Amino acid sequence: MATGNYGTIRPADVSVDDVEIFYSYTPNRESLTTVELLPLDPAQVLIPANNPDNVNEIFGGLYTLKLPTSIFGSKGYYSIVIRPKQIRTTIQDCGVLIDNQDVKGVVFDINQIPLELQNRFENGNLVGYRIEYIKEQTGTGQDKIQNLFRIITSNNRALPITQNQGNSNASQAYTFNDNSTSVFCTVSPSSAPSIKPNAVPFIGNPQQDVIITNTFFNPVMLEIEMVEFDEETLAYALFSNQTKSLEDGIYTIYNFGNQIYRQYNLYEVKDQFTGKPLYEVREQKFTIDPTKDFDDITNF
Amino acid sequence: MEYIRKKINLENYTVRSIPKSVLVKNSEGKTVIDESNPKYYYGTIPNYKIDSEGNFILDPFGQKIVNTIDVSLFITQDIDDMGIFTDTPFVPKSSTLTIKPDNFNSFTYGRLAGAPVSFYYKSPITVSGYTDDSLLKQVKSYRKDTQGNDIYVPNLNVSNDPKNSFNGVVYTNNLETVYKIGSNVNNVQNTGVEYTTFKNEYVKTVDEFGKALSYNKTKFVSKNGGWNEYNTSLNASLKKEEYLGIVFKPEVDSAVFINRGVEDIFERHALLSEIKTTNDIDTNRGGFIRI
Repeated sequence: MATGNYGTIRPADVSVDDVEIFYSYTPNRESLTTVELLPLDPAQVLIPANNPDNVNEIFGGLYTLKLPTSIFGSKGYYSIVIRPKQIRTTIQDCGVLIDNQDVKGVVFDINQIPLELQNRFENGNLVGYRIEYIKEQTGTGQDKIQNLFRIITSNNRALPITQNQGNSNASQAYTFNDNSTSVFCTVSPSSAPSIKPNAVPFIGNPQQDVIITNTFFNPVMLEIEMVEFDEETLAYALFSNQTKSLEDGIYTIYNFGNQIYRQYNLYEVKDQFTGKPLYEVREQKFTIDPTKDFDDITNF
Repeated sequence: MEYIRKKINLENYTVRSIPKSVLVKNSEGKTVIDESNPKYYYGTIPNYKIDSEGNFILDPFGQKIVNTIDVSLFITQDIDDMGIFTDTPFVPKSSTLTIKPDNFNSFTYGRLAGAPVSFYYKSPITVSGYTDDSLLKQVKSYRKDTQGNDIYVPNLNVSNDPKNSFNGVVYTNNLETVYKIGSNVNNVQNTGVEYTTFKNEYVKTVDEFGKALSYNKTKFVSKNGGWNEYNTSLNASLKKEEYLGIVFKPEVDSAVFINRGVEDIFERHALLSEIKTTNDIDTNRGGFIRI
């Protein structure tokens, strides 16, 4: 029996500090070169919209991607990937809680985290983050363990405590202690299914490199095709003002703002001996003749 | 991952204006463009925003404004309920913070190490509104007047726990009866919820079935709203995996006990595979299945 219903998609109000943006460019779809991804600074190019009724409040969901023309000013295809920010670190240890020995988790050292990201590792702040794993023996092909991830379900500062197990043995477990710089994270899945109690899911190994990623929004990929012509520019040729200078044969097409859009030289090719016209030519003129300003011509 | 395709025309960002300042006379006396003039941008897309005269547009701080191609996009987040957490004891940081960080909130800072529980308190707020007079009967005296009407005696505590809490009338007159529910006996004035039932003001309404209702207008005031030492404590939040996706305890709603949980897909198949006889239903896992 359902006791309530709720939606499962919400407009994201993620901070740009928790976002990574990469782009690649190819002049055409037939390019054979491998895709080279380059980073963009989200703080510079991703601007959240503010609530019109409360200017200091993020509207939620709506963002403006401000692509600098110095990078995105060429004709061709730009692929832009917007994804949650990744934090790379090393698993300090893996263990259990001293009071809940069936609760397994991975331990991170806050001091290994870049200073500006350390607040993400405060108690409870990593809940919902995803852990992905790097192979312990790198350089053997793909370094990342593909199709494997775990979700952090809780995190608290924790201190290791050694328990004497007799016969000169000792085991280590963790207890929650805010005086520590280590963070104990429970992850899911980490429990064995009851039918196979020994099949404990892999949650990582001590000293293994991992990638920790927030899940504050769903990644987005944009493919932007930069073109030189569209319906508007084709309409210039059909419907906008035009002039043809009878003195020098310069044919000028203006945009709808009466600015010079294209100029052409119009001329005939004649037989050099008989003077018989052979061709009428319209050739694009790349050095613009500024005397063909439409307002100057028609202002008589 | 969402995939969005857009087509953008670079012509919209291409400069087509020719400032008069870049025009010069050549040796033949004809007006031509001085293409070496730094204000000449015709046919190009400048890196910074310029006006029609080729001058840089500056922001309020005197800085050039980067020329950008703006694309709007909508970003969403899929959410899921992780379920209940388990409060777990922890050793607090030995050196506690004395100054609360700016705009302190538990989501931004988590359970910030060294932050005392008082950081999470909020200033008491007053909650007020209107209700019906049904609680008035709780503070009446057991005695009746000569006409058989209820009487309300100021300071008469009718609480079931009179040593600790006060439920009773504070004062009454011809217009109103003011009474408290749930006050501390040592601080009746500032604790509990204060009700004022107006004797000569009536509210007439209908219930959800259309039946007419009438009662004395009653106002309530509580001065103890917000987070405080009575409803706030600090614990480490531990997620036990067996509670993943569970937001309340498993309940027996039918003849078959359903173990609610995210990871019970194998459990259910395995459980049925263990049942060979009707006797197994009773004995399996110590009576786990109930008929």
